Amino acid sequence: MNLKDCYNFNDFRRLAKKKLPAPIFHYIDGGSDDEITLNRNTNAFNDCDLVPNILASVGEPDLSTTIFGRKIDMPLFLSPTAMQSLYTPEGDRASARAAEKYGTMYSMSTMASFSIEEIADISNGPKLFQLYVHKDQSITDDLIDRCRAANFDGLCLTVDTLVAGNRERDLRTGFTTPPKLTLESLLSFAMRPEWVFKYLTNKKFELANIKNKTDKGTNIAKSVMDYINEQYDPAMNWEDAEYCIKRWNGPFALKGVMSVEDAKRAIDIGCTAIMISNHGGRQLDGSRSPFDQVKAISDAVGDKLEIILDGGVRRGTHVLKALAAGAKACSFGKMFLFSLGAGGQQGVERALQNMHDEIRRNMILMGCKSASELNNSKIIYKK
Amino acid sequence: MNLKDCHNFSDFRKLAKKKLPSPIFHYIDGAADDEITYDRNTSAFNDVDLVPNVLRGVENVDLSTTIFGKKLDLPFYLAPTALQRLFHYDGERAVGKAAQKFNTMFGVSALATVSVEEIASLVDTPKMFQFYFHKDRGLNDAVMARVKAAKFDVMALTVDTITGGNRERDLRTGFTSPPKLTMSSLFSFALKPMWGINYLTKGKFELPHLQDHVTEGTSTTTSIGNYFSSMLDQSMNWKDAEKLRSQWGGHFALKGIMSVDDAKRAVDIGCTGIMVSNHGGRQLDGSRAPFDQLAEIVDAVGDKLDVICEGGIHRGTHMLKALSLGAKACSGGRLYLYALAAAGQAGVERAVNQYRLELERGMKLMGCTKISDLNRNNLRFR
Repeated sequence: MNLKDCYNFNDFRRLAKKKLPAPIFHYIDGGSDDEITLNRNTNAFNDCDLVPNILASVGEPDLSTTIFGRKIDMPLFLSPTAMQSLYTPEGDRASARAAEKYGTMYSMSTMASFSIEEIADISNGPKLFQLYVHKDQSITDDLIDRCRAANFDGLCLTVDTLVAGNRERDLRTGFTTPPKLTLESLLSFAMRPEWVFKYLTNKKFELANIKNKTDKGTNIAKSVMDYINEQYDPAMNWEDAEYCIKRWNGPFALKGVMSVEDAKRAIDIGCTAIMISNHGGRQLDGSRSPFDQVKAISDAVGDKLEIILDGGVRRGTHVLKALAAGAKACSFGKMFLFSLGAGGQQGVERALQNMHDEIRRNMILMGCKSASELNNSKIIYKK
Repeated sequence: MNLKDCHNFSDFRKLAKKKLPSPIFHYIDGAADDEITYDRNTSAFNDVDLVPNVLRGVENVDLSTTIFGKKLDLPFYLAPTALQRLFHYDGERAVGKAAQKFNTMFGVSALATVSVEEIASLVDTPKMFQFYFHKDRGLNDAVMARVKAAKFDVMALTVDTITGGNRERDLRTGFTSPPKLTMSSLFSFALKPMWGINYLTKGKFELPHLQDHVTEGTSTTTSIGNYFSSMLDQSMNWKDAEKLRSQWGGHFALKGIMSVDDAKRAVDIGCTGIMVSNHGGRQLDGSRAPFDQLAEIVDAVGDKLDVICEGGIHRGTHMLKALSLGAKACSGGRLYLYALAAAGQAGVERAVNQYRLELERGMKLMGCTKISDLNRNNLRFR
């Protein structure tokens, strides 16, 4: 199996599974507890049908949309995800370059393996930074200031990760950062010599944005869950979010809003966007899926801030349904990470190309000239 | 596989399966008829989603709740279950001590294998006794008197086992109390020699609350289904329940209430709690799941007595959903029985601690710091 055989989510996932050591593959692939929410995130789209309009003289549809003050060429962008150099040595550089090439947004995690400055150097495309509020305030301040200096377009504050989700696959595979060889995982590393060779011959693994502030995640083998529990501040509240907004003073989103009440409050504190997300089903299992919740939130606040649906997106039609239900754009993590693991920058480009083609084709089939024509009248919920 | 590899309900189940002779494992694991209700008890939780609130400042979470006038550190307790020394030689002793360690309640069944007196001497945290209404009124009076003397906190009358459920796995494996070696089960006992050695050397198998009155279950082998069908009084009615309640005098619950009408009637006869339960799917197959029925019952009587959601709970998030609907607490049997079988007291402690951690994590992710923060605004039904 090869990159050119990858036509969809499952193909990229299969190829990534072949290339990545098992603990790393399962870190991407897994969710929390029984993975009920992880599965629902995608299945939710199937409880809603698209209703096309015909003979609408569509021509070439306009897929562009504007978020965080930047126009992007397609209504789908890369979610911020941690430690991308575990999947390919180029890590964030590969995904940032691919995003720029397709005119969409790249997002950087606080726990990225390249620094804010390194990415700003190689990409002029739209860039979003994903902030975590650390117990040590100076880490948070430093990150915000550096994003401004590096001309990032927007900031999103993660609010669904006060405590790490119970990711049982990681408990079983013994996933840590940097990767640690255990007796159980040895075999799966040994069977992927190409990954091991690249990992050992490239830049040393580090959490580039925070390496000078803390040795966690770089010198000590830590599970991601331990890192979250030790470094992130569970006391974080609305005042802390407001503080970040003021300090940043630009387009700002809360990432992980799920209730209508919180969405309204996000407007009050000055957010320009929210990302409806349950962290890809990796945090609170049994929690509602973004697509199940997007319409209620959009009905309440859709005219006052940008709504981004994050989670479960695997198809162009998923994006169309999300936009019809009220989202301004979608973001995706797992799918592009599998493509990154499967083929580096080229892999991500292929995934973006596939999604671009699917969105374009289905816009035409729907009879929509632009993303703004997708509205509630284009979908019917089955129940 | 080892105790430290057990991260969830299914892991404990797997380890228990490895340790127990198959008739005993399937006695715990099985349910009535086609096990439709048994499966639904858990899958019902998936028809509702949690909707978290963010940025609430959740560094300290208080999981305590008060039921039957007792403050527990956890919003769940260990439901009474029969025959625990068949699962691990320490049986109720292990479960009671584990519950005590976490300051939650545990229940002792009339079909327990350790006496209420011994339990009372080991455990000073809240205790519940599960009463079965026998035809033999002398037995009923004697048991009631002993439980009272042992100063148990709650009396729960079982109302859903008026006759034995059709537990087909037990028919196939030949499960009886005490265990009987048959040609077909011989092999499965022989495969678990440690269980056999412990059973034979760690003290005689007894049913201390019953054996002075009846031989069934101790010196005469019987299946649990047969025991219920032949020994319990099928004429039991509301008057009997009311009489038992006044005879007991303290906190009194009916275990196995499923209809709103019955819940209201429980209030009328002076119950202070009810367990919404179908006996873990082991009695009437096709009957409604506790979680499916919870909202109606809470709406009708939730302000008048403690409503407990019992059955199907495998996760902290299941409990969060039940508590959000208005249950005062949750309980379960398999919740800790596999862990008991897997490793005795240490197993039960590990299981209880995992549920505690799951609840604490779930509360934080929901944006809640105390149980009373949970309400129906947190939920959306699909």
